[in-house]
Amino acid sequence: MSLSNKVDIFLVEDNEDFSFLIEKAIDHIDKDLSIKIVDNGLTALEVLNCYSQEGTRPRIILLDLNLPGLSGLDLLREIKGINFFKQVPIILFTTSDNPKDVRSATEYGANAYVTKPHGYVALIACLRSLFNFWFTHHTTID
Amino acid sequence: MMTEFKVDASNCDKEPIHILGKIQGHGFLIGVNSKDQLIHYISENTAAFINDDPAKFLGKHIGEIEGRMNISNYGNELKLSQIITLGLGNGFESLNPFYIEVGGTPYNLIIKNAAAILLLEFEPCNVKGEFDVQKTIGRSISTILAESSLHSMFETAALEIKKIIQYDRVMIYQFGEDGHGEVVAEEKNSDLKPFLGMHYPASDIPTQARELYKINLPRILADVNMDCPSIIGNPKLEAPLDLTHSVLRAVSPIHIQYLKNMGVAASFSISLLSHGELWGLVACHNYSPKFIDYRAREAAKLIGQILSPALEYRLGEEDSEKFGLLNQSVSTLIKFIEKESDIVSALTSNAVTINNVCSSTGAVLVFDNKITGIGVTPSNDEVKDIVKWVIDNSQDMVFYTHRFPAIYPTAEKYSDFASGLFACILSRELSEMILFFKPEQKQNIVWGGNPEKAVMAATDGSLQLSPRKSFDKWTETVRRTSEKWSRGEIAALINLREQVIYQINRMANEIRQLNERLKLAYEELDTFSFTVSHDLRTPLSSIKSYAELLLLTNQSLDDNAKKMLERINACSDRMALLIKEILNYSSYSRSEIKLEKIDMRQLIEGVKAEIYESVHPQTLEFNIGPSPDISGDAIMIEQVFANLLGNAVKYSSNLGNAVVRIEGYVSGEETIYTVADNGIGIDVKYYNRVFELFKRMDNAKDFEGTGVGLAIVKRIVEKHKGRIWFESQLGKGTTFYVSFNNEPVE
Repeated sequence: MSLSNKVDIFLVEDNEDFSFLIEKAIDHIDKDLSIKIVDNGLTALEVLNCYSQEGTRPRIILLDLNLPGLSGLDLLREIKGINFFKQVPIILFTTSDNPKDVRSATEYGANAYVTKPHGYVALIACLRSLFNFWFTHHTTID
Repeated sequence: MMTEFKVDASNCDKEPIHILGKIQGHGFLIGVNSKDQLIHYISENTAAFINDDPAKFLGKHIGEIEGRMNISNYGNELKLSQIITLGLGNGFESLNPFYIEVGGTPYNLIIKNAAAILLLEFEPCNVKGEFDVQKTIGRSISTILAESSLHSMFETAALEIKKIIQYDRVMIYQFGEDGHGEVVAEEKNSDLKPFLGMHYPASDIPTQARELYKINLPRILADVNMDCPSIIGNPKLEAPLDLTHSVLRAVSPIHIQYLKNMGVAASFSISLLSHGELWGLVACHNYSPKFIDYRAREAAKLIGQILSPALEYRLGEEDSEKFGLLNQSVSTLIKFIEKESDIVSALTSNAVTINNVCSSTGAVLVFDNKITGIGVTPSNDEVKDIVKWVIDNSQDMVFYTHRFPAIYPTAEKYSDFASGLFACILSRELSEMILFFKPEQKQNIVWGGNPEKAVMAATDGSLQLSPRKSFDKWTETVRRTSEKWSRGEIAALINLREQVIYQINRMANEIRQLNERLKLAYEELDTFSFTVSHDLRTPLSSIKSYAELLLLTNQSLDDNAKKMLERINACSDRMALLIKEILNYSSYSRSEIKLEKIDMRQLIEGVKAEIYESVHPQTLEFNIGPSPDISGDAIMIEQVFANLLGNAVKYSSNLGNAVVRIEGYVSGEETIYTVADNGIGIDVKYYNRVFELFKRMDNAKDFEGTGVGLAIVKRIVEKHKGRIWFESQLGKGTTFYVSFNNEPVE
């Protein structure tokens, strides 16, 4: 996928299945939503740095916790350090329900912590409410 | 004057024979102070040699009496005072005897140093025999030592001693543990009746005589009928002369009478010592008076002294030979233990057992709450009593007797096969031991006279010790006595005990280590199941998601395919639930408990509310009885009652009149809660599997569940050091009991 000016959802996820399912689910929710998926923490940081230079700002960033290259939490801290993305909501989207991870994520400035839902139907529901909240009600970011 | 002692049965042991104040008449004695050489004691028969009253010389210098005695030395012209000075400088033992002539007759002068007093004893000397004795002695000793067995050594020793002293009878006399004696070897003139094999009661040789026997190795009584001259002492000196070291010392009148009764006219004995104790005597009898020259006595003494260490060595050798043989069995048994690791089976079920370590005819292993007997043994109940008796009565870890019924009368019942007992205590606390039994050995002991009748009433009616007159053979049958435990057996059994205990400890250590490893393995398993469950969740989610995606988006699916996709969905839901429960279960074992006081009423109400919210029971009667507070981890305890009450509600939910009741009560140091229902109940065959992970009963198939709940409950209860159990009747209901310590320990 070439860089384009419009990226609605930026997903960092190393699990191919989950990336595929999210892509499908987002397409299902709204065919106009664009998504960029990166499967490595370091690559994600590089891509985001390019974005900040060319002025591409995703509407929401979804991070998995366990990532190769750079962990989700470290990546979170790096992104929060980039001024250009200050207003972009960053959501931890992970299987872990370990309270320690939740606490760290909040401390590092995550805007939400969401455990991955069990199944496709639940996933659609989850993403729909997520987008509904952050895209519709929470419009100050734009 | 010397004090007169009246000796009777009550004080015979106290008869002061060393200060009798009398000597044997074949010699004479002068006692001088070792410093000033003044005469303090003198025997009355010295008169014959000085033609004067010996009492006149008391307090005089030894030189004064010497001039009156017509003493001459051979070769050297030493005066008595010079001999004394010489002896004081060099030690009398090496110089004795001094050859002198008194009035032309050859005498041996033997000087002994008794405290401040020197005993000068003059006794006849056999000049002619001297050379022969010197020659014989070396030969005798080498002959004795050449003997291969202890017994033939005794026989040869008796023969050689008889050659030297030329008495009519020479016996080797051995003392038993109880002090009685037995003739074990004999050399005698052919016309005499044999005493070999005869036993003599302990009272024949009183205790204080035995003590003297340890000091004076050879002793002679040259003539039982000879008058015994008194020793005259300086009246100013109160102490009677101590004759302990005297060679002329008169013999106790009782002993003389004893010998007379036996028909003996002269007696000579040499002590045999083993490990410093009186092992026995060389006892020599002559039937006519017979003096033995000092040199010959010393030669005989030398044989006795050589016999003693040889005896010790040979005894030790025979012991160690037997020990070596028995100890092979011990080694075999220990190898069995090392191989089998089951002590009971290793010691009792192979070709070699504990019954082969000694000459026992029965052995019993009392170990690990099991009584295992081999051979002929008392019954298990009788063994239990014996074990208790041994624990109560034995201070030591090893106890043995060859007369068990005599100290434990109950044993008379089985004395025919258990008169001898050897007990090796393995653990006093656990009353564990190995018992060995020896059968009764009816023994005929031939006494030289009835030992019961050693003390007799005197003619005047008083109970005077009168030495027995009858030496006729008297046979006694000893019952309820086994063969003795030999030193080899004792050593082997002690070794067996030590080895077995070592093995038990080694195995206990191994079990401890296994336990540690098991604990580690459990912890690893917990971590493992946590990690695995966790990692399973992601792919499981994907499976379900794909199935749902297919269902949602693929319009070409037929109904059959749709049904199968729905099954995939349902199965992954079920699996997700199981994974959640496993995570739940392992998280309880991983987390530490935080103790706090728990308001049980509130907790139970909370659980009840949750149950009503989730399952909406229609007809349930939910009773909450007394709810005493407990200490525990609030979250975990809630989990316990959520499970128990949830189960109670669930497994009675098919009833129209379901009743669930929870109540608690304090019982001693515990608080016990019961959760009862009138539901489906638990089948007896599942009783021991109720708390196992993923185990569900046949009759529970119609109810939802994972089989993890009760496993979690049990884990939590055990983490609280509490207990859980239940009562149940199929179709009638189940009651679970949970107990918590009132003063919980973490």
